[in-house]
Amino acid sequence: MTQEIDLSKLPPAEPYDKARDEAQRARLMKVWKTPTGWRRISAVNNSSVGKWYLLTSFAFFTFAGFLALLIRAQLAVPNNDLLSQSLYNQLFTLHGTAMMFLFAVPIFEAVAILILPEILGARDLPFPRLSAFGYWCFLIGGLFVCGSVFFGVAPDGGWFMYTPLSSDPDYSGLGADIWLLGLSFIEVSSIAAAVELIVGVLKSRPPGMRLNLIPLYCWYVLVVAGMILFAFPPLIAGDLLLEMERAFNWAFFDPDRGGDPLLWQHLFWIFGHPEVYIIFLPSIALIATILPTFAGRPMVGHSWIVLSAVGVAFLSFGLWVHHMFTTGLPEISLSFFSAASEAVAVPTGIQIFCFIATMLVSKVRRSVPMLFAGGALAIFVFGGLTGVMVALVPFDWQAHDSYFVVAHLHYTLIGGMLFPLFAGVHYWYPFVTQKRMSDKLGRWSFWLMFGGFNLAFLPMHWTGVMGMPRRVWTYDVSDGWAVLNMVSTIGAFIFASGFVVLAVNVLWPRGKAPLVERNLWNAGTMEWSAEVPDKPWGVRSIPYIHTRYPLWEQKELLGEMDRGEWFLPDAEEGKRELIITDILDARPLYVQRVGGPSYLTLGSAFCLGAVFILATFHLWTLTLLFGAGFIGFTLWWLWTGTSEIPEKPEKEAGRGLVLPTYAQGNNSPGWWAVFITMTGDMTAFMGLVFSYFFYWTALPDFLPGAARLPGFGWLLVGLALLLAGWVTALLARERLTAGGTGQAMALLVAGVPLGALGIGAWGWAARSAGFDPTETSFDATVWVLILWMGLHLLLDAVMRLYVAARVWRSRCTPRYRADSVNLTLFTHFLALTAVVIFALLALFPMLMGVV
Amino acid sequence: MRALGATATLTLLAGCSGRHNWLAAAGEEAQSVETLFWVVLAGAAVIWSLVIGAATYAHRAEAKPHREREARRFIIWGGVVLPVLVVCGLLVWGLLILRHITSDDGALTVRVDGERWWWRVIYDTPEGPVTTANEIRLPLGERTLFKLTADDVIHSFWVPALGGKMDMIPGRETTLALTPRKLGNWGGLCAEFCGGAHALMRFDAVVMEPGAFVRWLEQEARPAQVAEGDRGFAVFEEEGCGACHAIRGTEAQGPVGPDLTHLASRDKLGAGIYAMTPDNMARWITDTHEMKPDIDMPAYPGLQGERLDALVSFLMSLE
Amino acid sequence: MAPRNKTVPPGDAPRVIDQGSVWILVAAPSIWAAHFLLSYWVAAIWCAKLGRGTTLMEPRWIIAGLGALCIAAIIGLAVLAIRRYGGVFVIIEEITESSERARDRFVGHVALLLCVLSAVAILFTVIPGMVLGEC
Repeated sequence: MTQEIDLSKLPPAEPYDKARDEAQRARLMKVWKTPTGWRRISAVNNSSVGKWYLLTSFAFFTFAGFLALLIRAQLAVPNNDLLSQSLYNQLFTLHGTAMMFLFAVPIFEAVAILILPEILGARDLPFPRLSAFGYWCFLIGGLFVCGSVFFGVAPDGGWFMYTPLSSDPDYSGLGADIWLLGLSFIEVSSIAAAVELIVGVLKSRPPGMRLNLIPLYCWYVLVVAGMILFAFPPLIAGDLLLEMERAFNWAFFDPDRGGDPLLWQHLFWIFGHPEVYIIFLPSIALIATILPTFAGRPMVGHSWIVLSAVGVAFLSFGLWVHHMFTTGLPEISLSFFSAASEAVAVPTGIQIFCFIATMLVSKVRRSVPMLFAGGALAIFVFGGLTGVMVALVPFDWQAHDSYFVVAHLHYTLIGGMLFPLFAGVHYWYPFVTQKRMSDKLGRWSFWLMFGGFNLAFLPMHWTGVMGMPRRVWTYDVSDGWAVLNMVSTIGAFIFASGFVVLAVNVLWPRGKAPLVERNLWNAGTMEWSAEVPDKPWGVRSIPYIHTRYPLWEQKELLGEMDRGEWFLPDAEEGKRELIITDILDARPLYVQRVGGPSYLTLGSAFCLGAVFILATFHLWTLTLLFGAGFIGFTLWWLWTGTSEIPEKPEKEAGRGLVLPTYAQGNNSPGWWAVFITMTGDMTAFMGLVFSYFFYWTALPDFLPGAARLPGFGWLLVGLALLLAGWVTALLARERLTAGGTGQAMALLVAGVPLGALGIGAWGWAARSAGFDPTETSFDATVWVLILWMGLHLLLDAVMRLYVAARVWRSRCTPRYRADSVNLTLFTHFLALTAVVIFALLALFPMLMGVV
Repeated sequence: MRALGATATLTLLAGCSGRHNWLAAAGEEAQSVETLFWVVLAGAAVIWSLVIGAATYAHRAEAKPHREREARRFIIWGGVVLPVLVVCGLLVWGLLILRHITSDDGALTVRVDGERWWWRVIYDTPEGPVTTANEIRLPLGERTLFKLTADDVIHSFWVPALGGKMDMIPGRETTLALTPRKLGNWGGLCAEFCGGAHALMRFDAVVMEPGAFVRWLEQEARPAQVAEGDRGFAVFEEEGCGACHAIRGTEAQGPVGPDLTHLASRDKLGAGIYAMTPDNMARWITDTHEMKPDIDMPAYPGLQGERLDALVSFLMSLE
Repeated sequence: MAPRNKTVPPGDAPRVIDQGSVWILVAAPSIWAAHFLLSYWVAAIWCAKLGRGTTLMEPRWIIAGLGALCIAAIIGLAVLAIRRYGGVFVIIEEITESSERARDRFVGHVALLLCVLSAVAILFTVIPGMVLGEC
């Protein structure tokens, strides 16, 4: 047992003193103030970044929706010549791409960044500047991808970009590069947000919020962010392979050179199916938060919902091949995925039954959010049932790539994601703006959208049954699809008009309208504790939470928080401060200081955006220049804003609680962020390992003969050097802890040439054996593994020099050595990567008897 | 505008064609799925009504404490036990159907190669392969095994009325078995987006009496009958058509485009998209990319008057 | 001046692994995932290396045997969830007290439910091998 600080037995608060309260409020205000005017773009606080994120995602949604209307207009009548074939192909590709990558996933991040800290009673997320960086990446990447359509070079290969259509420059042009690089860039920002949200839920909870007291919303955020961490990296690995083939003619997907087009489909759908649940679960989370409020009681089956969220998250990784049922894989392989696709219906159903059971045992208040939630249920259950149908292999052989599937996916995504999101918009609008939306317009928008949606998509199932394939820009009157398509088009426009009503309702200027009363829905979760009018600091003092619905069950809480009776009621040192707690029981661990407004993140995102955009056009010199700019800005940001040595080792956090002001190792959020990021990085690496074994399974002669293998000796030398580099990082940490700063610096710097020599030995092993990545898939795989190691060593070198410089300038000291600890953690993963690559290049061929 | 004219007629023609309908029961494989379809549809309707009914009731009803026991039963039986049993049953049934409709052999083997954006069709007969394009004739009641390949990008072979689809993937050979049960000209489509003119990559799947089929295949195997000094064939050669197209029995042996040996015996032109008429044929030659954008065949706008007429009538004579 | 309380609990990692309980939440679904991937690999490699139409007799029993092993492991986990974490089957009543014991029981409860779900999912994975006889 650990020594416990019993939070329920803290000394009482000091008596209320108006002058003290006002002074504290003024200091908090000064610290947390949002920059005004054009300086606002330097803001990093979650309420600013969250709002931008939300509005930008909806802007991309509107854009993609407009594309959908153009598509529907084209299909309204047979043999229509409104759009050309080439434009149509760009439009549907961009529609899917933008909806998935620029709306559905970012909106999860947007909502979570906006409300998660508030639900946790925190002042901000643990890495506010990282959120801002992620937002700017998202904006730049999104504009780049969407803007391409105005120059007629939008991607046109469908949103899942099947090879060889997307890999062979004869069949696809610049659009494919824009898709690959633009979206890789956005995926980086998604992963950044995922890291932030995981650490947020694990480490930024209010003191006392044990695992069993975490609100459902936070469980979902944790689960979904975890899924992003395991789902996006394989796609990034796939993007890397595909772009290497497109730009440098490496042989990954070309069957004539031992490649295989199906590899892309595997990597894409290992991402693509969990993606569906990454989109769906956060919206269900919104309903799970809204429903108890209107039912006026806690959710029935709280732990059952946690079970189903975790269960769905796992099972969703066993469904990817159900997008590949018609690729001629052995029936037995298909059947496993059919089985998992059926099994996932069970936890999904449990969530819905828990919702209904909650309504059953309570008296539900009617409201616009509940109307949208009800519409969501009706649509989603239908989509789920057609999902059970298409999970059956023989059924899918008919339905696959037909309009039946188009209808199915829109039922699941619009019912499972969009309608709950709109429920959330109506529910949290007063939280964000402190004004009320019009209920009347809310009902109008609901019925227009609900009616329009069903009119558009219900007949579409039948269009599919009548044999219309998806992604066709025209059809003939004799096909018999005309009436159904006309109905769908009318429905789509009604749906769009409903969205216009909603947009008007949201954007309507309400400057003079009265402010809402505090906690107007009488909700139980912490975000409604915000004062009206709201303050930039989030919570006046960070409370001790010992219930699931604090605003219902801790009656005195609001007053205590407002009077500053809980933790960190002040900002004496003029720093933005958060409380970091432990994972299991949310014991306070230390006071974290986070960065305030900054242009550095903006510069960093801009340079990284330029890198990806310039690489699309193969402007390599400029790409390198901006790459250096990105590294420069990022280092500057880290140097000035992270692991700062505090002016005093600990501080009074209120109520007699004294907490350290610095943490390292697994107490600190930074360590967890490195750990989680590197888990994602290993997943991407596993994507490459999967590719290796995929080729080995699919191609009988993937492994070349003994004469054509990289030299074992050189590979072994390389591995030894790389592991020696890892040891220098370990020793550097040891020496630093012991006070030997000079030795630590020397060891850190010595690791750089060791890494360079190590990767040089590997490169030589491949080169001297005559490996040419444009020749065969084995050669290309060997080189891509070496390239992967090389890129990581480059990062390793930058980090080593950075930490050495920090030691030199006494910003990383024997006592405050978080930088060194985090670097060591990074090198553990690097060493693991090196060992696995060595096993693939040297040991596995030997094991298979090639040598 | 073409669109307006089409709108006027669409109400008349809607729904009465159904040559791509899964539920036309024109093939044994499609029939298996059709049975499955109706059963799961009915089941889905019942489940949907029950769930939405329960939700509506729960939303409207007053709260009563004793309902907690009902709620517990509701979650256990409705949320856990029932779904497990239903999806388990469906899974087993689906697998049994899968086992039933897949096969590795057939009375007839047809190789189909997906091209951008047309179909190369090769019948394997004891006398050797017979090559044709964009129209597949099948004997009634006999299981045909399709061996599917592609050269350029992924396509997908689908005759909805006869059965499910199967992708055609460069570097692989996939197979699909279909057993026609109804005479007729059923539509075939490319179901996997293959770029450019994907929408215009169709074919006809014509189901014939077995006797008629054998006669057709014999006819199809014969070389073309080209008269000595045919004016149209001369134009065909002068314009270099033979570099891409083959007409068996002549010097035209181009392997790039569709085989034209018995072109005029096919029902449609341009990979299942236009009726095989002299007018369409002439337009196809002169305004190729108006009729089918992006295709590799070059247009011959300069080919007009008597030369064009001769070429068209020659092509229309290739029965 | 209020009395000072200087005791700060140790870091997370040791607690999450030993005394803490988070690992048991992901253990059962991870077993499902392992069984699923192994089944897929066994069948995929079998069919790829031996060709279409090969009988699935051996893979069928490998998959079923692995399934039995995995379900046994999951039963072990379930026993652990009940004994060590006090996992119980409840729906309406909830574990909402603020104490370490309650947190353990909550984790035990969710872990127990996940054990059931994972076992069912493993049974689902075994079904295809029983129905289909060849590649």
